[in-house]
Amino acid sequence: MTTVDAPVALPNPRARRRRLLRKRFLRRPMAVAGLIVVVGFVVVAIFAPLLAPYDPGATDFNALLAHPSPEHWLGTDELGRDELSRLIWGARASIQAGVFATVLAMVVAVPIGLVAGYYRGWIDTVIARLTDVLLAFPFLILAVGLAAILGPSLMNATIALGIAAMPGLIRVARGEALALREEDFVPAAVANGANDMTIIFRHILPNMTSTLLVQATLTIPAAIIGEAVLSFLGLGVQPPTPSWGTMLQDAQSYLAQAPRLAVYPGLAIVIAALAFNVLGDGLRDIFDPRTTR
Amino acid sequence: MAAPLLDVADLSVRFETDDGPVHAVDKLSFTLAHGEVLGIVGESGCGKSVTCMSLVRLLPETAVISGSVHFDGVDLLALSPRRLRQVRGRQISFVFQEPMTSLNPVIRVGRQIGEVLQKHLNLSGRDARDRTIELLQLVRIPAPEQRLDEYPHQLSGGMRQRVMIAMALACDPKVLIADEPTTALDVTIQASILDLMRDIRERLGTAIVLITHNLGVVADIADRVLVMYAGRKAEEAPVADLYAEPQHPYTIGLLNAIPRPYESEDARRRLREIPGRVPSLRELPTMCAFADRCPRADELSRTNVPELRMVAPNHLVACFHPGPE
Repeated sequence: MTTVDAPVALPNPRARRRRLLRKRFLRRPMAVAGLIVVVGFVVVAIFAPLLAPYDPGATDFNALLAHPSPEHWLGTDELGRDELSRLIWGARASIQAGVFATVLAMVVAVPIGLVAGYYRGWIDTVIARLTDVLLAFPFLILAVGLAAILGPSLMNATIALGIAAMPGLIRVARGEALALREEDFVPAAVANGANDMTIIFRHILPNMTSTLLVQATLTIPAAIIGEAVLSFLGLGVQPPTPSWGTMLQDAQSYLAQAPRLAVYPGLAIVIAALAFNVLGDGLRDIFDPRTTR
Repeated sequence: MAAPLLDVADLSVRFETDDGPVHAVDKLSFTLAHGEVLGIVGESGCGKSVTCMSLVRLLPETAVISGSVHFDGVDLLALSPRRLRQVRGRQISFVFQEPMTSLNPVIRVGRQIGEVLQKHLNLSGRDARDRTIELLQLVRIPAPEQRLDEYPHQLSGGMRQRVMIAMALACDPKVLIADEPTTALDVTIQASILDLMRDIRERLGTAIVLITHNLGVVADIADRVLVMYAGRKAEEAPVADLYAEPQHPYTIGLLNAIPRPYESEDARRRLREIPGRVPSLRELPTMCAFADRCPRADELSRTNVPELRMVAPNHLVACFHPGPE
């Protein structure tokens, strides 16, 4: 028994799993493309001041609604502001809303869902029914309503989007907790003297990280689109701060003369949201143990 | 004789189900001395596991427990949940049947053991790690420094059961309750796990309650055996007496169902099964629960519930017609 303890160099298990996941991930070109776009998007948002050729608020009255040219690669808007610079700065509002709204929703919704799923009983009934009621409202309607109550600003829009994303996440976390509480390691932990909080946060929560990661990558694009919608409606970012939503709003009046002003932010929204979605799908696939490839 | 470590008296466990109550354990009493190995045997569904789970109240809310469980003079059934958590894993710990699923799949084994140490003994992270390595050595896991950082799915079933045992022993408990610890393992591993448990008892003086349906396992390691049938005690005796002179027809039936390929020609006979199955426990018995399956049953067995009586020193049996075959 004890004679075989020659220290064999066992490969670090964590590194091995990471390598496997990376291999699975790299076999999905769509997911890889999604990741590249997402990373590019984040980099642009972070380094906007360095990347933008012009101040996004600087007006040039000699070049109103100018066509694309070497000076203004994507042309200018009705006040002569550089479209490319505004697009780059607009990425900031989008990522801020997308990421922070998702983080906010996770931080609040996951513990609520865990508690509901773990304790069951009346507390679960109350939480689940409230969630059902909130889920009856479409995500954007809820966000618009909340943003209208909170007042227009990027921060309030982000909070509104975060709250609107909570019911869905509560439901996911609750479902996972319901399944995981039946696992054998739960009574084993109880038999070792673990209390409820230890079981919920140290034993059940880590088992749902991959599900939550996928949920996050799917909530971010919803929040990005949500931010654009709120800004478009005047409930989010306020002019002159650039945001893809406000840019669309501005472009509306000049649709006949300069349709490209609507196309750029529209495309940016679509590409950013699509990239996150594709990445999320890819992550879901690689974390799913039933995936055979 | 010194006061027993664990003194269970008139323990009854009833489950309130939608179809009415189920009497899983009925007025069971037993004791466990310091450093003793007690085997609890019986068929599936006769209340072995429920008995042990009820000792530290691990059963679901639907279970109604009555009687008393004195551990070191403290009544466990009257303890607050908080105090009870200090007993679980610290004084009385469990090893479950399924090593494959009883470990948390996403937490490294070293941390799972370390967590128990940090919780109960307030060890620092570093001390807990050192102690964990010691524990893994104790349960004879090779290269513990490396195993520490592995996830459960990277270990074999036998290894996982060793980890479970290491975790159960982490805080040097006084009682180790092992619920079918070898059932899910293959035979060679079973032997080494039993060997390990015997070793632990000798080295650490831990009292062990071993739940099993395998009388061979019990013969191997137990000091005393408690045979349970339908939630009640059928027979209790020191292990040698039980094998030499089984008194209860149910015990005899269980012994006859063990294959003995290496014994002499006349001992090698057809394996005999016990006809019928464990009765439903919906109603409290009005007759001997084993009567319907028993060759010795008569009018008395069908109208009265047999009380335990002593047929030899320390040898208890609940039967109207006890005696070896």
